[in-house]
Amino acid sequence: MKEMIYQTVCPGCNIGCGLYIRESEEGALVVDFMKSSSANLGKLCRFGMKLPHYYSKATNVVDGKEADIKTAVKAASDKLKGAKNVAMLAVGATTNEEHLAFTKIADALGTVVNTGIGAYEEIPSECHPSISQGIPLDDIEKAGRIALFIDPYVQYPLLVRRLLAAKKNGATIVSVGCRDLNLADENLSINPADYKTELGLDSNSIIIADVHPHTDPEQVKNLLNLSLMTGAKIIFMKPFVDSTGVHLFGKGVGQKGLQEIMDGINDGSIKTLVTLNSDLLELMPNTDEAAKTLEKLDNLVVITSRDSPVNKLANIVIATESLYAKAGSFMNVEGQVLNNSGESTVGIDAMSILSKNLGGEAFDFHAIHDKMMKSVVQKFTAPKYSKLECKVMETAAPAENGGNLISVYNPFMWCDQPDDNDFVIVNMKMVDKLGLQKGSMIALTSDAGSVNVRYTVRDIPDGLILTMKKLPVVTGNSTVVKAEAV
Amino acid sequence: MVKVGDMLVGYATDENVRSRGASGGLVTAVLAAALEKGLVENVVVMKHINEFEAVPIVTDNVEEVLASTGSLHSVPVNLAKYAMGRKVAMPAKPCDAQAVIEQGKRGMIDLDNTYVVGLNCGGSMHPVTTKKMLVEMYDIDPEDVVGEEIEKGKLIFKTKNGEEKAIAIDELEEAGFGRRESCRFCTLKIPVNADLACGNWGVIGDMAGNATFCQVMNEKGVKLLENAIEAGRIEVQPASEKAIAIRAKVNSVMEDLGSTLEKEIFPDIPDEERMQYYMEQMEDCIDCGACKEVCPVCACGEDSKCTMFHSLVDNYKMSMYHMVRLLHLSDSCIACGQCSDVCPSDIPITLLQSRFSIPSQRRRNYQPGINLDTPPFFEVILK
Ligand SMILES: Cc1cc2nc3c(=O)[nH]c(=O)nc-3n(C[C@H](O)[C@H](O)[C@H](O)COP(=O)(O)OP(=O)(O)OC[C@H]3O[C@@H](n4cnc5c(N)ncnc54)[C@H](O)[C@@H]3O)c2cc1C
Ligand code: SF4
Ligand code: SF4
Ligand code: SF4
Ligand code: SF4
Repeated sequence: MKEMIYQTVCPGCNIGCGLYIRESEEGALVVDFMKSSSANLGKLCRFGMKLPHYYSKATNVVDGKEADIKTAVKAASDKLKGAKNVAMLAVGATTNEEHLAFTKIADALGTVVNTGIGAYEEIPSECHPSISQGIPLDDIEKAGRIALFIDPYVQYPLLVRRLLAAKKNGATIVSVGCRDLNLADENLSINPADYKTELGLDSNSIIIADVHPHTDPEQVKNLLNLSLMTGAKIIFMKPFVDSTGVHLFGKGVGQKGLQEIMDGINDGSIKTLVTLNSDLLELMPNTDEAAKTLEKLDNLVVITSRDSPVNKLANIVIATESLYAKAGSFMNVEGQVLNNSGESTVGIDAMSILSKNLGGEAFDFHAIHDKMMKSVVQKFTAPKYSKLECKVMETAAPAENGGNLISVYNPFMWCDQPDDNDFVIVNMKMVDKLGLQKGSMIALTSDAGSVNVRYTVRDIPDGLILTMKKLPVVTGNSTVVKAEAV
Repeated sequence: MVKVGDMLVGYATDENVRSRGASGGLVTAVLAAALEKGLVENVVVMKHINEFEAVPIVTDNVEEVLASTGSLHSVPVNLAKYAMGRKVAMPAKPCDAQAVIEQGKRGMIDLDNTYVVGLNCGGSMHPVTTKKMLVEMYDIDPEDVVGEEIEKGKLIFKTKNGEEKAIAIDELEEAGFGRRESCRFCTLKIPVNADLACGNWGVIGDMAGNATFCQVMNEKGVKLLENAIEAGRIEVQPASEKAIAIRAKVNSVMEDLGSTLEKEIFPDIPDEERMQYYMEQMEDCIDCGACKEVCPVCACGEDSKCTMFHSLVDNYKMSMYHMVRLLHLSDSCIACGQCSDVCPSDIPITLLQSRFSIPSQRRRNYQPGINLDTPPFFEVILK
């Protein structure tokens, strides 16, 4: 075998950056640039550049022992046949086609595929298209004013060039967030009640926010209202390569967020969990706590292309081919369908057998792909909704000698990949208060434990501590911590 | 008998290769012969995906080489890194050939076993910009394009229905389209640093459009051509005086244009403002490392000087990564434009590096990637 070259899409977020993966005879992977890709012009962020780490290959497992895929599918069929209290989860980290195939298994089991974003359940369905559909990223470059509710540098890095291009074209940028952004003309720290008056948006403006498994639904409602009241367009960025697709194909009644699924497992209403490229140990803020919860399941069936931590807890792992090698497509945040050049259908074929064994439909890749393309055309509708009632958002009071530790969710964090992010961000006031010196570390302590980390200083609001990396002391989006110099 | 210094006009004997070739299919035929006759183990060529996308492949399959005919002006890659650690023949724009030589100096490419078939280069374009230009300037649907060429300062696109539309490159560049910025001030248009220098400049009369002009630069070039003639893959004849003169004339016009544009592209910045200028330009860097990864003259591995001194925990206005790179590449940077192409923050990193390295190279009378006579001024040569 000689070098294989795959055209694929970066799984780091839903921007859908195109790239090549070159696989050598020995299986070594190298990223190469695909400059004709309209989403990114071949450019990649830090995560995209480190993709070879992400594509670790999974192995089929049945009850702790390595198996072949046939045995794994058969064992999964036996476990799932007649199973009660089943939940299924696919956050959007594989192809449209696999997501659609997964819904066939859900049909056979009489359940739905959860995408893990609880916010959808709390927001009237007529608003869902405004959250899920997105707008062309080119529109950002043409906007007159842009309000940012994300940190583009860290969370969705390929937005940076769009924003800089908008500025060159005369746009002004206002950022509402935890840290001052260099590209913003104004950096504000304000409450939702003041958005309309303070942000100066109109119909020539764009609001850029995001929606992910841990998003506070109240913030989504506030921003939908802001869009409605000002006439500004709104785009919700999303964290997984097929977040838009999975929502389109996987949504059904009774959508559960990740926390609800964990609660369901803890209270015994969920006994069997089937996941598709979705590792709750990586996705939940606290890995140890998530592991304790998953251990309570009777059955954990993991269908995945990656060798990730949850595989070790699973009763059955059905290992599919690496994401870059799959036949299939992804839908990015703009609603563009982006194709992989790979031709492998291991995952789809395994799910077809599983579906058939469970009394459902059998299918092949082409049938699923055609169906997917048809639903894309049918399901996209113009969003319409009226003003939403919002509750006041709660912010935890910071500890006396500490602060609120905030997770800035980013591609590395969602899949717990190593990066040079082993530090927290604090402001100068915190440095003085704690008596930190160059080279010293901060000890952070919460109900979940304690950790020593390096720090760096930026202009951020008082009392905040920001982390780009999963830390064992984190219990949610914002965790009250005690901080000390060490 | 072929000799060093020969100026020839030739073509592929295979009609199919000749007609699909950018000019006479000679380059493809020479590469295929090098593989067939065992001169090399592999060939680097571009595998076409569409008019605006192609991917470099390293192949030992003659059919794949024969299928790679045609010049892709909107696929701005640099091919040097694909030659590393291999015994290959490859096509090479001047900047590809420069990078091969710089890597050769650092022991990363075995120059004795790397055969470089040079391509003249008037410049390359970014594919997405080109598609946009087709819509906005040419009123052509990019999907309808079947070919393009540069002639007499105009960029010509041919469409499915057999029509052609030409617009002056100056006009396109004025409107923000056309060649990449690095290509505008590039003054090495004929790859005199390669083993053969091939192009369509100087192909005149009956041969215009279906032959390749080829200058033999060195003994490896002789070997490449003789090998292809022996394999029956090419036919060559001496170029006429007129053809040689025309080629030289066009080349000198292009070189002058590059020098003029260099002055426009690099306006003077007073000394006291330079540091501030660099810091401001770099301030949206997201530390992706793509500019290092793509750099065809960078010979460092993962543990390189620029990355070793750099950490995201630091809060320098301009990172150690950039400071080290500016200095470390000041002898070897060939201004190929790859780093600007891949920068996710659209930082004009090639311009920043060139602003730093070009004066420094000129002061030392050093042009990177031309020959092995002068060692890199930053390296100690061990004898
Ligand atoms: C970007 C570009 C600009 C050029 N500009 C000029 C010019 O201004 N004047 C001039 O006389 N000649 C120019 N040429 C060279 C000319 O187009 C022909 O390549 C040359 O005459 C050889 O023709 P051929 O038929 O023998 O080549 P072919 O047999 O068609 O072989 C062409 C070879 O070029 C390789 N190739 C294609 N695209 C690229 C690329 N982007 N980068 C590296 N290799 C590539 C292919 O893999 C193939 O091996 C340019 C070439 C390129 C790629
Ligand atoms: S993580 Fe997102 S922005 Fe970064 S390369 Fe991947 S898709 Fe692009
Ligand atoms: S830098 Fe020079 S040689 Fe390289 S593609 Fe541009 S014009 Fe051609
Ligand atoms: S620094 Fe940039 S322009 Fe210079 S050789 Fe490297 S990639 Fe090319
Ligand atoms: S490519 Fe751009 S963003 Fe990435 S490290 Fe280089 S300058 Fe920074």
